[in-house]
Amino acid sequence: MESRILQLIAALRASGVRVSLAESAEAFSAVDLMGIQHREHFRLSLRTTLIKDARDLPVFDKLFPLFFGNGEPPMMGGNPTDDMTPEEAQMLADALREFAQSLRQRMQRLMNGEQLSKQELEQLGQMVGLNQTDDLRYQEWMAQRMMRALAFPEVREALRELMEQLQQMGMSKERVDQMREMIQQNMQGLEQQIKQFAGERIAENLSEQPPGDNLDNLMNRPFHALADDEKKILQREVKRLAAALRTRIALRQKRAKSGQLDPKLTIRASLKYHGVPMEIKYRNRIRKPKIVVICDISTSMRFCSELMLSFLFALQGQIRKTHAFAFINHLESISEDFSGSDADQAVASVLWRMPSGHYNTDLGWSLDNFNNDYLDTLNGQTTLIIVGDGRNNYNDPRLDIFSLMTRRAARTIWLNPEPPVMWHGDSDMPKYAPLCNNVLKVGNLKELASAVDQLLSA
Amino acid sequence: MNNPFESTGRVKTSLNSQKYIASDEIATIVFLAQKLGKPLLTEGPAGVGKTELAKAIAGATGRELIRLQCYEGLDESKALYEWEYSKQLLYTQLLCDKLNDTLGKADSLSEAADKLAQEEDVFFSSRFLLQRPLLKAILCDQPTVLLIDEIDRADAEFEAFLLEVLSDFQVSVPELGTLTAKHRPFVVLTSNNTRELSEALKRRCLYLFIDYPTLQEELAVVRLKVPDLNPKLAQQAVEFVQKLRNAEMRKSPSISETLDWANALVALNAKSLDKQTLEDTLSVLVKHEADLQKAKRQLMAPPPGRGKPDEYGRFSGN
Repeated sequence: MESRILQLIAALRASGVRVSLAESAEAFSAVDLMGIQHREHFRLSLRTTLIKDARDLPVFDKLFPLFFGNGEPPMMGGNPTDDMTPEEAQMLADALREFAQSLRQRMQRLMNGEQLSKQELEQLGQMVGLNQTDDLRYQEWMAQRMMRALAFPEVREALRELMEQLQQMGMSKERVDQMREMIQQNMQGLEQQIKQFAGERIAENLSEQPPGDNLDNLMNRPFHALADDEKKILQREVKRLAAALRTRIALRQKRAKSGQLDPKLTIRASLKYHGVPMEIKYRNRIRKPKIVVICDISTSMRFCSELMLSFLFALQGQIRKTHAFAFINHLESISEDFSGSDADQAVASVLWRMPSGHYNTDLGWSLDNFNNDYLDTLNGQTTLIIVGDGRNNYNDPRLDIFSLMTRRAARTIWLNPEPPVMWHGDSDMPKYAPLCNNVLKVGNLKELASAVDQLLSA
Repeated sequence: MNNPFESTGRVKTSLNSQKYIASDEIATIVFLAQKLGKPLLTEGPAGVGKTELAKAIAGATGRELIRLQCYEGLDESKALYEWEYSKQLLYTQLLCDKLNDTLGKADSLSEAADKLAQEEDVFFSSRFLLQRPLLKAILCDQPTVLLIDEIDRADAEFEAFLLEVLSDFQVSVPELGTLTAKHRPFVVLTSNNTRELSEALKRRCLYLFIDYPTLQEELAVVRLKVPDLNPKLAQQAVEFVQKLRNAEMRKSPSISETLDWANALVALNAKSLDKQTLEDTLSVLVKHEADLQKAKRQLMAPPPGRGKPDEYGRFSGN
C-alpha cells in the first residue's frame, strides 16, 4: 500500500503538481489516522494533504482511481448458459460449431462472463506497446488497440451472426434477446477492465518518469521552438515566477524610503520617549510604475506576448495602472479582458477576438490608431512597453507618431525576441531602436522574467 | 471529557447542530485537521460558507472564535500586539508623586536609577499590552478557534510573518520574552483565490475546496436556515438558482444570496415564483445589472435553444 501511495505521488509530480516531501509525509500520517477501510475517507485524506490548489484537483481525481481502482469491479452480466434447457444448449453448441476455432473460444468466454487474467492483460499490453506510453491522454487509444488485438470487432460480428443462427434454429425471440443483453454486458465489462488496466499501466509509467523534467531547459528554449504542451508547463511556471517576483518587488517598494518626513508616524514613535522625537520616521515613497503595454499578437509573436501579459497581470498589485493594447493589423484596447483574475482565460478571449491573418501585421497603422484614441494614457509617469519583432511588412513605420509617444512617456522599452543581427528584411527595428530608452532581447522565458524584473526595479 | 470531534460522523452531526450542513468531504477534512493539528485552508467562490464553517466549528466545540480579518496593508501591530503608549503615559503622569516618593529617598543618582529599574517592569507588563487577534489566540486560557479571513487580501510579507506564528504558535515580545500558546488554537484560513498564496503557506495547511453545493445540499441548507419558506417554493427557488449558476454570469449567486432571497420571499409572503415576485426580488439574488437582464430573459422566455442569447453576450463584452 505504501509503495502504491508513493507511486501516486510520483505520478502527480510527473503531471506537474508540486508535492513537497513534508506534504507526502503528511499524507501518510493522515492515512494512518483514517485507516484504509473506508475508501472515501482514504481518498479525502490523500487529497487534502497532497493537493493544495483547486486547479490540481482534476489531476488527482483522474489519477486516484487508476492507482486504487474505482471501487467497483467491472460489471459482468452473468452466464446465459446457466439456465438453459438441454435442447437450447444443444442448439447453441451446434451454432457455435459453425465458427472458426479461435473465434469460438473468444465467444465461449464472453458467454461465460469470464474476466481476463492479469497475465493475459499483460500480454495484450505488450503487444500494443503500452509499456512505452506515459501520457494519460493515450489511455483511450491504447484501450482501443488492446480490444482490437482481442479481435473485438470480429467477435461482435460473429456474435450477431450466432444470434441470427440460433433464431433460425428455432430458439424463442425473447430468449435470444436475453442472451444478447447478457453478452453485451459482459463485453462492456471486459472493455472497462481493459481500460482500467491501460490507465493503471500508463499511470505507473508516469510515476517512474523523473519528476520536473527539464524545466530549466524549457526556460532557456526559444519561444518559437516550444510545443503546445510545453507552453502549458511554461504558463504554470510564469505564475510561480510572477509570485516570486512579486514578493521581491513588494519588499523593494517597501524598503524604498524617500527623504520626506512623516510627522504622524514620528510623533507616534516619539511617544515611547516621552515626546522626544528619538526615531525619525520617513514617508513611504510609493513608486509603483504606470504601464502602457502594446503587444504584437500575430502568429510569430503570439506566445511571447501571451506570457508577457500573464506576467503583467499577475503583478497587478505592484503596478499602479496598466493599459494593455494588442495589435495585428489594427490596435485594440484589451485592458477590459483582464479585469478578472485569470490571465489565461483573458489571453484566450483576446486571441479569439483578434484572429491572426496572413502576413498582415501593420504596426504603423496600429500606432496611428493609438495616436487617435489612446494617446492620453501616456504621461510623464508612464513606462511604455512594446512587445514585438518590429516586422512591419514594408508598411509605413510612422516614426513620427512613435517619437511623439516616446517623448510623452517617461521611458520606452522594447522587448524583441530577435537579436540585432537579425534586424533586416522587413524589420523596421533599426529605425525604432534609437528612439527607445532600452531594447531588450527576450527570446525565452528566462530573459522575459529578467526583463520584467528590470522594468519594475527602476 | 466529551469531545464532539472524535469521529467524522460526530463532526458531521455536531456541525449540523450548529445549522451548518457539512458534506462528508468537509466533515472528514475538518476531522483530519483537528487530529493532525494542522491549519485548515479553505478556498472557494465567495459566499459558499467558508467563514460560516469556522463559526460552526467554534460553536460545535464550544470554543471562542477569534477572527482576524485581512486587508491590504495589515501588519504585525494590527495582527499581533501593540504597546498602549497613551495608557503608559497617563500612568506615568498619574503616578508621578509616587515615583517622587520612591526616588526622593535615594542619596545618589545611581541609587535612584537602580530603584527606578526595579519598578521598570510595571510599565512593560501585560497591563499595557494591547492584544490583537493572533496574540489573543495564543494567550487565551481556553482552546480557541482562530479564523484568519481572506488571507489572499493581505500582502505577501504578512503571509511570511504568519508562517512563523502558525508553525510553532509562539511569539517573542522583546520586553516580555517569548510567549507560548497554552493550547494550540484550531486555525481556519479562508481565501477567495484573488491571488496565488505562497507555496510555503499551502504546504503547512490542509486544503479544502468548497464549491457551490448540489441541488439537494442547497435545498437542505435553505430548509434549515429559512424554515418558514414553503417546501414547494423552496424547491423551485433552489432549482432556479442552480440554473442561474450554469449560465455564464459575471457573479454567480452563492448560498448566502440564495438565503437572502429565500428570506425575501418569506417576507413578501410569496405563494409561487410568478413573474411579479421575480421582478420584485431578483435584485437580491443577482447583483450585476447585466446579469439581472440575463436572468430575467432566461426566466421569462424559457431558453429558445442556442443562438439567440449569444447576441447579448457578444455586445456586453466590450
